[in-house]
Amino acid sequence: MPPTTIHVRPPGVPDETTPGVATRDLARLFRRSPALAGVTLEVEAGRAVALLGPNGAGKTTLLRILATALRPSFGTALVDGIDVATQPDAIRPRIALLPHATGLYDDLTAAENLAFAASLMGIPSPERADRVASALDRVGLTGERNDRVSRFSAGMRRRLALGRILLGHPRLVLLDEPYAALDAEGMALVDVLLEDWRGSGTTVLVATHAEERAVTRLDGWIRLEHGLVVEVGGGGVTGRVASVPGAAPVGTAMPAGSRS
Amino acid sequence: MSATTRHLAIATTIAGKDLRAELRGRHAVTSTLFLAAVTMLIFGFALGPDRDRLAAAGPGLLWLAVVLSGILALGRLHHLETEDGAFELLGLYPVSRAAIYLGKVLGGLAAMLALGALVVPLTVILFGVDLLAVAPGLLVVISLGSVGLAAVGTLYAGLTVRLRAREVLLPLLLLPVVAPLLLAAVSATAVLLAGDPFGELAAWLQLLAGYDLAMLLAGGVTYGLALEE
Repeated sequence: MPPTTIHVRPPGVPDETTPGVATRDLARLFRRSPALAGVTLEVEAGRAVALLGPNGAGKTTLLRILATALRPSFGTALVDGIDVATQPDAIRPRIALLPHATGLYDDLTAAENLAFAASLMGIPSPERADRVASALDRVGLTGERNDRVSRFSAGMRRRLALGRILLGHPRLVLLDEPYAALDAEGMALVDVLLEDWRGSGTTVLVATHAEERAVTRLDGWIRLEHGLVVEVGGGGVTGRVASVPGAAPVGTAMPAGSRS
Repeated sequence: MSATTRHLAIATTIAGKDLRAELRGRHAVTSTLFLAAVTMLIFGFALGPDRDRLAAAGPGLLWLAVVLSGILALGRLHHLETEDGAFELLGLYPVSRAAIYLGKVLGGLAAMLALGALVVPLTVILFGVDLLAVAPGLLVVISLGSVGLAAVGTLYAGLTVRLRAREVLLPLLLLPVVAPLLLAAVSATAVLLAGDPFGELAAWLQLLAGYDLAMLLAGGVTYGLALEE
């Protein structure tokens, strides 16, 4: 298999051939232990793809690198053709991350949390109140807009964190366990949002343990184990699959696998 | 909106959020106000009833209480932000690191000034130091000292916030760095109370201002490291 082509473009509007996400030999070490051990993959722009795998597989690490929260130890990661390690300032306006911890402020109300985020996103103040109201309505928290987040259940916090993503118009949405702590209604809300993002051409990566739900609703999936890609399936995603999961140390070439 | 205006708007938004959260939750400053008061009381008892000795020790104890409780307050303000991953998320917004740093400094400065507002009256009451007679000059000294402490404390609190031993490491790393500030602030306060007989006050104030500027510049340039893992 020829090596995956990485399209490198200067910051700007990507063309239709530029993948939404592309990584090559992406690795991240924590105290010399690889959380990601050489991941090469491409996700087509506008596709929604699941990141599957057991705890410790490297799903969250991959999302955090793409979100510019972590620098890769080796390899490259591109979003819309822009290198996340060398041009993080160009990436940040394009991405939205739902972290596993929700990143909310307990002593602020739901509306204040979103207004704070909207302000830092650069949303002009005349639009801010409308965007906050719209996002709260979308995630079903309009009635709780003036309640402090410290009184929220885990599911309500998750909804509010999803509402924060709805404030902007990101090109790439990164969701870490979006179904966690949600009831059936909340999970259905995530499904609707995923569908909306796909419809609007937003690239979505979803790290989840809800495999059946993700595989049936998203375009494709990538399975990680021990920081390596061990399976790629569905549409919109290609990747280099390691044939011996967990056996390839960082820095050595992995045996070529299949591309879906 | 110019870049400078945008940076200032971001900084005030972050500082406003910190203040609002603190006023509602009272997690950081309230407990350290109590520590500052207890520190002053204990030193007051330890020095005994000799009013001359108490008055001589007043400027030093005032700043010792502000610095010790201020370090704790700044560390706590940062730690609260990490509890639900908000600190990491703060670094992912498309805003400059310097603006985030400035916002955190402004929030920390408000905490320092609140500590000063408690400690100054305590110094007057416990040590019989006539601080009110030099109120305008004292305000300048306390403001310059608080800016410096907030500037360097915010930087170090950010750099240590993800470490397990942050409660120990922050004062351990910070106290040597604030030594010049402590020396200048204590000396300026003492000189001010003595009526500045040798015209030293301006030099101490210049040292404080220079320290503030250096720490603000260092923090603006390096605080981004705190936001990355």
